[in-house]
Amino acid sequence: MLEEESVMAEESGLCKTGIEELDMQLGGGIPIGNTVLTVGPSGSGKTTLCMQFLVNGAKMGERGVFFTITEPLFKLTKNMEGFDFYDKKLIEGGMVNLIDLRIISERLGLDTEKYTVEDASALLDILRDIADELNVKRLVIDSITALCYRLQTPEMIRDFIFKLGSSLAAMKCTTLLTSEIPPRTFQYSQYGIEEFISDGIMFLGDLERKGDLIRTFQLVKMRGANHSRIKSAMSISSRNGVELAPLLKSS
Amino acid sequence: MANVLIDGLKERISNAIKINQSVGIVLPGNNYSDLIQALFERIHSNPEEAWVYVAVTKPYENLTKQFEFLSADKNIKVIDCISRVAGISKPAQNCIFLESPSLLEKLGLEITNIFKEVDDNVNKYLVLDSLSNLMIYNDPELVTEFFYQMINKTRARDIHIISLALEEEGMDKHINRLIYLNDKILKVKDSFI
Repeated sequence: MLEEESVMAEESGLCKTGIEELDMQLGGGIPIGNTVLTVGPSGSGKTTLCMQFLVNGAKMGERGVFFTITEPLFKLTKNMEGFDFYDKKLIEGGMVNLIDLRIISERLGLDTEKYTVEDASALLDILRDIADELNVKRLVIDSITALCYRLQTPEMIRDFIFKLGSSLAAMKCTTLLTSEIPPRTFQYSQYGIEEFISDGIMFLGDLERKGDLIRTFQLVKMRGANHSRIKSAMSISSRNGVELAPLLKSS
Repeated sequence: MANVLIDGLKERISNAIKINQSVGIVLPGNNYSDLIQALFERIHSNPEEAWVYVAVTKPYENLTKQFEFLSADKNIKVIDCISRVAGISKPAQNCIFLESPSLLEKLGLEITNIFKEVDDNVNKYLVLDSLSNLMIYNDPELVTEFFYQMINKTRARDIHIISLALEEEGMDKHINRLIYLNDKILKVKDSFI
């Protein structure tokens, strides 16, 4: 049954996120092999959305990997255990793989603060090798901002994301890269480069209503998909994870 | 005497909701208790139906004190929009607590999620108690938009909706506009009670 679902996804050319409203907005799912920037300020739900994307994929028979640079694995898993969608068995069974990129960097002997061109190339190779070896169809890097911070020039950032995206696309692996931005800003990345190399942009923001912060979601760009661009309200609950609803426009 | 009047109200609500998809009930504030008693007794006596009750007037704990069966009845789920903002955080099995009544989109999602779990062949009902109180916490335009959405959503999913509006000194123009979106209006007069 799981294999069937995985084959169906490949035939349709779409990678279903498993979040009903989001898939509807995407016209069925993310085109397979796309690299999508998941942009938002702190607390906007980027990590939860990405993890739900991986877990839902695993439940449909697609293996995934989550590379974290921003928080240690024990913290990440502890936070995710509070969600009903999270299933520890998928981690133990190798369907969802969690990897701390800082540990990999250390093992490779890379400078943890600044990468040289060679360092970046070595890291790229290891990411590709892991994706290939695990045969993953979904990959997340949380966050690309933290990784870009270690790349010293705009050219290195451009080169890194371009090469990563191309090789993962060749493996038919759909990738989400989280991008951190300051609150209440309308920009897609810290360095202004990431969005041009990505195939898609999902923008997570918030708006204030009577002092309460309402989470919002907007699909800004998705190459190869006839997608919606409406702004939605986004809810995160332990029971249902991320859900989208039409945003009341009188806000 | 009181029982006879509450039975009368129950019958009026039952008849109205049987033939109309949406019913608006306009009532003076001092008749509120009788009306919700009639409503809850109606719900309690029809366990084969599925009800969602959006509480913006009285907190869940208060409602269960008045109607003890509420916490045990399987055919009703309450979405309490006001307890959390009042600092009450006692969990309850039959109730979902919304952080704030200004989270209208979240309210819409919770309503949809509850009804998703109900079989297609079960009669479904939604009570908004009340539009007037939602307007205390939100801009009237926002509540208007929310209500339009709810009316359309419930129509599409064959869910009956009962919306209450408390009539204080004259009706707010926004409430007046909203309540007339319903297929049927019940006006409860002081004299009726």
